[in-house]
Parts: sequence; C-alpha cells; structure tokens
Amino acid sequence: MKHLEIRGLSSAYGSVRVLRDVSLDAGKGEVVSLIGPSGSGKSTLLRVLIGLTPPTAGEVSIAGEKVNYRNRRSVKAVRDRMSIVFQQYNLFQNMTVLRNVTVAPIKIKKRPRAEAEEDAMSLLERVGMAERKDAYPDELSGGQQQRVAIARALATNPEILLLDEVTSALDPERVNEVLDTIRALTSEGITMLIVSHEMAFVREVSTRIAMMDEGRIVECGSPARIFDSPTKARTRDFVSKILKH
Amino acid sequence: MDYTFQFSVVFRELPYLLGGALVTLQIAFVTFWCGAFIGVFGAVAKVYGGRFSRRVASSYVTFFTNTPALVQIFLLYYALPDAGILLSSMTAVLIGLTLNAGAYLTEILRAGVISVRRSEIDAATALGMSLLQIVVNVMLPHIARTIYAPLSNFFIWLVLGSSMAALFGVEELTGRAINISTANLRTIETFMVVAVIYVVLTVLASASLALVGRVAFRVRAKVF
Repeated sequence: MKHLEIRGLSSAYGSVRVLRDVSLDAGKGEVVSLIGPSGSGKSTLLRVLIGLTPPTAGEVSIAGEKVNYRNRRSVKAVRDRMSIVFQQYNLFQNMTVLRNVTVAPIKIKKRPRAEAEEDAMSLLERVGMAERKDAYPDELSGGQQQRVAIARALATNPEILLLDEVTSALDPERVNEVLDTIRALTSEGITMLIVSHEMAFVREVSTRIAMMDEGRIVECGSPARIFDSPTKARTRDFVSKILKH
Repeated sequence: MDYTFQFSVVFRELPYLLGGALVTLQIAFVTFWCGAFIGVFGAVAKVYGGRFSRRVASSYVTFFTNTPALVQIFLLYYALPDAGILLSSMTAVLIGLTLNAGAYLTEILRAGVISVRRSEIDAATALGMSLLQIVVNVMLPHIARTIYAPLSNFFIWLVLGSSMAALFGVEELTGRAINISTANLRTIETFMVVAVIYVVLTVLASASLALVGRVAFRVRAKVF
C-alpha cells in the first residue's frame, strides 16, 4: 500500500481544466518532485490535495484511507496529516514567529501552550530561526520567513509535506538556506511532494520526478531517467531548456 | 491695538466649560459607536452583499458622505416635525451625526475587510482552522490594524464636528462658550480658552488611541 495514492484526479476553474486525469503515488518517506512549465498544474495539484481547490473527479487515498473532499470531517483529517508550504510564505503578519508556529498546535490540536512552545522552539532551532522567535514576519527576509513557514508546517507533525515553489520568491542568495533546510528534512521519513524549478536540487533529493504539462503528468521516473534519458519529447524539450542555463 | 485681554471672567466659568467638554465627548462616543454598528453592516453589505444590498449601502454612503453633516442635521431637525416626529435638538444631533458617521465608517471598515490577504486565509485553512478560528485569529487582527488609524482620525473629527450641535442649542463645549460670551462679552478670550480645551481633548484622545494602537496592533502612531 502506497502512503499517498492519487488516481485520475481532475480539477477545473470554470471551464479551464487545470488538472486532467492525474495519477501519482508516493511511498512512505519518498520525495517526489513535480517539474514543468508555469501553468502546468503543479501548484493546483498540491492545492487540491490539501483541500484548498476542489477536485472535479478522481480519488486520493492516504495510507489506504480514501479522502472525500466534499466532507468537512474528511478534509480536516487530511489537514491533520498533511502540511503545505507556499511560495509566498503566507505567514500570519499579525503574529510573532513563535506564535505563527504554535497557533495550529494550540488552536487546532488543543495542546497546552507550554508544551507547544517547547516543540516550536526546537523546530525553530532546526530551521535556524530560534533567535528571531519574537520577530514579526515583516521584520524578516524572505528566506527567514520561508524557514519559519517550514517550521509552522512541521508543527502539526505532518506525515506528508507539500512544498509549493518554496524558493521561487527568494533572492538567489537566500535560496540555499531554504534548500538546506529541506534537504535536512528528506532523511526524516516525511513523505514529500515538491514543486520546484531548482533542477539541481530536485535531482539531488528526489526519489522520483514527475514532469507535468497542461494539467497532465507527461512522464514519471527516477531523476536520472527524467534528466538524462527522458522518453517523451516534451520532457526532453523542457529539461534541455532549463539545464542550458 | 489697545485691546486688553481679560481671561479671569472666562476662567471663572471653567467648571461650566469643562462640563460642556464632557457633553462633547459623550456626543462623540455615542455617535462613534452607533456609527460603527451601522458601518459593520454597511461594509459587509458592500463587500459580500448581493446586488440589492450593495446598492442600498452605496446609496446611503454616497448621500451621507456628499452632503454636509450640518445640512443633514438641519433636515432631521426641521423636516421631521412636519412628518409628526418631534426630536429634541440633542436627539436630532445624535441621529444626524450617527448617520453621517455610519457612512464614513462603512467605507473605513470596508477597507479593513478587503485588506485581509487571501494567502493568509489559505494558510489558515490548510492548517485546519475552522471558519470561526480564521475570522478570530487571522481576519479580525488584520481588519483592526488596517482601520485603526483612520478610525482614530474619524473619532477626532467627531469630537470637533460635534460643535455643530451648538447651532441647535445643545450645550456642549461650543454651545456653552456661546452662552458665556454673550453674557460676559469676552468673545475672543472665551473662544481662545475653548480652542485650548479642544486641543487638550483631541491630544488626549490621540495619545490614548496611539497607546491602544501600539499595544494592541503594533502600529507606531504619532500623536503630533
């Protein structure tokens, strides 16, 4: 049984079909990356998985349990096991760093504040942001905010972590501090779905890579296969264009 | 220029004037909170309402922000008795200023509601927060922070604007100043003192509002 199983997933904004019949799975602790041009549906796939965008067809199962995205309790259960980190960090601007990380454990998981704060501090320690625990997001650089966002996503102890172009909004100098943080997570047994344009990074950390285009998965395979000997022309084209730089 | 200032006759009446200042603050307070009540509904109607409620709210705001508050109070005070509704001058002033405040506060609150960033709502939703938790923890703090400064300004405006009540015989600060000056004929001195009292009132109001802002919303407001 796969940890995350996606079968025939589709989604649409009005008449625009952003996801078409996507099937993908990930074993426990596997790191699967989604690559492809902008607008190919990578981010939408992540948003559908965590229940921010409704699917129009298809099935998602987590550890064998089918998710019903029309049922509030079922979606809540998904969000208990899954976290997402966004491209624009999406931190709560009115809360300190520490509060951003503890708000979900305290308000949603109903954990005692002291305990939640202790865990939050060790998470902030891991992403190198412990010293800034009392800062507000607007006092931090993009890279620092994104590291806090990663800590916030981990605070609910997710089994599955979705990373949506987490370095795309960062200055080039800040990219590595975030990538280092993610790299450290890949060895902890969390199943990850990574949307990224950082090809060298994707190649290094992924167990498998899925190439997406126009809402479909064009090709899926090991990093070596996708980058060195892609079978589909679309993948070859995309990879060659990106790796030329 | 051989005018000699004589403030002693005015200072004698200071307790009377300060009593008027209290009435001024009361008018500002009542109209502010009643106006805010209207403003919440107006803002919600304008942002989330259907076509009809949006139009009603827009017409209301357009009328009351494009006519002088004084004209609105005149209409209430002199037109309503013809329709059999007799209002005391104080009531007419309170209703007029409240309707006026409601229109401005609708716009201020609307700006607050639309300031909430979609991305933070997404993040809160993805974390598993319920709608109520999102409103309380994410939306309201944003709204409060955005509207806090224009809200403070508007309160100051109400403190000063309430002086219009004097024209209808309400004995607030300006009304009492008129009373005194017609008796002691020291108009300049009286109104100089009253001006200082207004400054003290608004500075105190600004300072306490700035304090609230700094503590509650992390807004570094300047008093001057």
